[in-house]
Amino acid sequence: MVAACLPLLPATAAAAVPPPPLDYDIYELPNGLTVILSEDHSTPIVHLELWYHVGSKNERPGRTGFAHLFEHMMFQGSKNVEPEAHMSFISAIGGQTSAYTTEDATVYYQTAPAHYLPLLLWLEADRMATLRIDRSTFEREREVVKEERLTRVDNPPYGRLPEMIYQHAFTTHPYRHQTIGSMEDLNAASIEDVREFYRTFYVPANATLTIVGDFDPEQVRQMVQRYFGRIPKPAGEVPRDIPAEPPMTGERRVTVEENWPLATVVIAYHIPHDGHPDSYPLHIAAKILSDGRSSRLYRSLVYEQRLAYAAFGGGNILEHPNLFFAVARIPPGRSTDEAEKALIAELDRLRDEPVSDHELQRAKNQFARDYILNRESIASKASTLAHAAVIHDDITTADGEFEIFSNMTAADIQRAARAHFRPENRLVLTVVPRGLPQRESR
Amino acid sequence: MRVRRSAPARRLALAAAAASLLSVASLAGQVVDWPREAPPRPLGAKDVDFPPYEIRTLPNGLPVVTVLHHEQPIVSLRMLVRAGSSFDPPGKTGLAGLASALLDQGTATRTAEQIADTIDSIGGGLGSGAGSDVTFTSVLVMKDSFDFGLDLLADVVRNPAFRQEELDRQREQIYSGLKDAYEDPDYVAGLVFDRLVYGFHPYGMPSTGTPESLQALSPDDLHAFHARYFVPNNAILAIVGDVTTEQAFKGAERVFGSWRPREVPDPAATEEPPPSVRRVVIVNKPDAVQTEVRVGHVGIPRKHPDYLALDLAVKILGGEGGNRLQRVLRSERGLTYGASADMQALKRSGDIMADTDTRSEATTEVLRAVVDEFSRLQRERVHPRELADAQAYLAGSFPLTIETPSAIAAQVLNVLFYELPLSEIETYRERINAVTPDDIQRVARRYLRPDRLSVVLVGNAGLFAPRLKGIGFDEFEIVELSELDLTAADFRRGVPTGAAPVEPALRPPFAEPLMSPSR
Repeated sequence: MVAACLPLLPATAAAAVPPPPLDYDIYELPNGLTVILSEDHSTPIVHLELWYHVGSKNERPGRTGFAHLFEHMMFQGSKNVEPEAHMSFISAIGGQTSAYTTEDATVYYQTAPAHYLPLLLWLEADRMATLRIDRSTFEREREVVKEERLTRVDNPPYGRLPEMIYQHAFTTHPYRHQTIGSMEDLNAASIEDVREFYRTFYVPANATLTIVGDFDPEQVRQMVQRYFGRIPKPAGEVPRDIPAEPPMTGERRVTVEENWPLATVVIAYHIPHDGHPDSYPLHIAAKILSDGRSSRLYRSLVYEQRLAYAAFGGGNILEHPNLFFAVARIPPGRSTDEAEKALIAELDRLRDEPVSDHELQRAKNQFARDYILNRESIASKASTLAHAAVIHDDITTADGEFEIFSNMTAADIQRAARAHFRPENRLVLTVVPRGLPQRESR
Repeated sequence: MRVRRSAPARRLALAAAAASLLSVASLAGQVVDWPREAPPRPLGAKDVDFPPYEIRTLPNGLPVVTVLHHEQPIVSLRMLVRAGSSFDPPGKTGLAGLASALLDQGTATRTAEQIADTIDSIGGGLGSGAGSDVTFTSVLVMKDSFDFGLDLLADVVRNPAFRQEELDRQREQIYSGLKDAYEDPDYVAGLVFDRLVYGFHPYGMPSTGTPESLQALSPDDLHAFHARYFVPNNAILAIVGDVTTEQAFKGAERVFGSWRPREVPDPAATEEPPPSVRRVVIVNKPDAVQTEVRVGHVGIPRKHPDYLALDLAVKILGGEGGNRLQRVLRSERGLTYGASADMQALKRSGDIMADTDTRSEATTEVLRAVVDEFSRLQRERVHPRELADAQAYLAGSFPLTIETPSAIAAQVLNVLFYELPLSEIETYRERINAVTPDDIQRVARRYLRPDRLSVVLVGNAGLFAPRLKGIGFDEFEIVELSELDLTAADFRRGVPTGAAPVEPALRPPFAEPLMSPSR
């Protein structure tokens, strides 16, 4: 028997070996473009990531979904590149390219064999400087985005759940709407909106270019200067006037009926922004609640009490204050009330008693694992660096956060939980299948 | 929201790229004096070889693959067992899936809770699952927990307890998961497509099982499945990451050396999947706002000599480096967010499937275009430029496929699993580049059958079914989603004969059938 002589715990349950720090250079071109370079010669490939510091939170009322719709337009050609040709160029060199839009940023990226780096830089500079904005491609791309909304949000069960949560949790800040936007607003967007958005946000001073991989840094600096240096610095500042969300003054309770098969309970608390001193303990709280099958929500709600067939939680920790969730999916025949009480009990417990040393160490070890996994590929290194530079406005946090997490105490977690896991600061959203007797909402 | 886009098909060589720049575009950009210029030339390319790996086979027949990598202090372990959901005995659909889900839910000496506590507390990861032909278990640990990771892997693979209590708990979770999944048009379309293409061949059955089939499974079934297939000569182990070769092989010997080999019976003798016939099944979900579209038929197994050429042909139809479907449906007509075609090549058979979705009103237009593209690929010789672009992508992307040690190991495991020559990894680029338009034409004519396509449409039938005749589909069947039964020949739930369906009261109300089926 192999198993019989095994210890139940491995020899070391203490903190993991810290990963090597990232090695990078950061500098700015005269036109305001931030450039981050990090060499990694282990494979002859290169990853280029261009972040524009504009996301759905920069959209104005009546134009939800626009930042993402605009992202699609960036593949519709520029002065030297035909519509849709960006992707063909990259595919013909064996590379991969795509883009994504979040609440806070729009990110364009490509990974390719290292010797094609000049092409990647040329393509990105061409569309930053000279995007083609053409009515017929805009109207067709709008149809594609509407299909995307149907595919991701409207057609699958639970697809609209995030939209519901945010519409009830927020009143003022644009985090109230989802990045995909509403059909109505997508239909209302005009070609003039595209031009204005491009002029306002797609300027060098609002962009961060990150390159990680197998390159010669001197050569790359020259190429960056050659292709991006010729983009002038436009007059004017990028607007940052985004309305703040007023504090909640009392618990909000909402029950909704939907044509979805099973009930769901969501508890959501408002929390501070990414980089706020409380954001770090909230990351650790999320691990204690929800990472692995020994985590509190799974162990209590799913495994022991069987009140939920899935239970999870975590912070959506973004550039501006957002939400911390706990979610339970309710099996047939179980009550949403019981699950709600159990979820709230777990959040209250974080507030009312310090976490054990064992749980704290577990969460730190899990954090270290994620940290290391985020440094395995050149793509994940690039997004780690870019996130630190753009969202934290401080690239040293890319490595520096390891120490913050290593030094975290049970008191830190309790402090953050006390500050934010308060009844008057939460939304309780219950979604029940249509036609079932509605649960009483208190 | 992450919004991924896949590459559209566009024949556009670097050299020719600057040619057509005279078309008038409205430039909104702030840069007026931007030069017209061709893309820059690449720098000098480097030779790229497949990174080193080693394979040793233990005396009990267990092959062990090692890929070393020392940048990050982690090690990942992966074990494949050559048995998956297509090994489920008749009437016990879902057995392999349930067994894999229960591997880490208790062993002879550890409870499910102890396993979770230990792997979580060292910041590791543990997972398992089953595919059609394979069951896998993965463990991720920091390098200083390597020995513990091996012990845990060996314990869950060799000594699972399959306790009744854990079986009940897991089954309950799967029931709930299925309730959700059966309302998800994307998931349902995939299930119905497999059943339609493979019939009652094991590849056609739902790997998760059905509520009725799961109800019938017992710990004895799970133990029998495990005893039959979980032996060293039927498994492959990979050790990847920050260890030395000696540590890896000694460790494997330590925890798996005493595992006794045994002859493994062939899975229940199965015939070929039934011959392809043209058949259209509509699953009616009246509240759907989009239709999930699946079109295809049976293909070839992975080890078939025509695999590479046919795979390239399907990539031209709808894969990376090609994708006519994406060009026609998305780039030209704005009818979908994504369209693709894929060849799934398994041990004993395979299939070719086009996959897209569209607003309900556009269903027939999309279906017609997909079928036309199948026909065109079968009928017309592919242009050398289009083939060259697909080859350029597949051969050119080779360095991207060897970036991480896990990606390297996955390629080695794949070749071992399908019993292909190891040299295939090294010769991949040459073999891709050797494919000619004649090869594509030959395999397209031989294997594509546009007249015998299986078509699955999941959506609001009332909005498109009446128009199917107009695009040449005179015969089709409509099944209400609420009556869908994957184990019935006509996909329809008949008079209950076995166990009662789980929680029938929760089934959402659906409209009466819109029209009677035509067959």
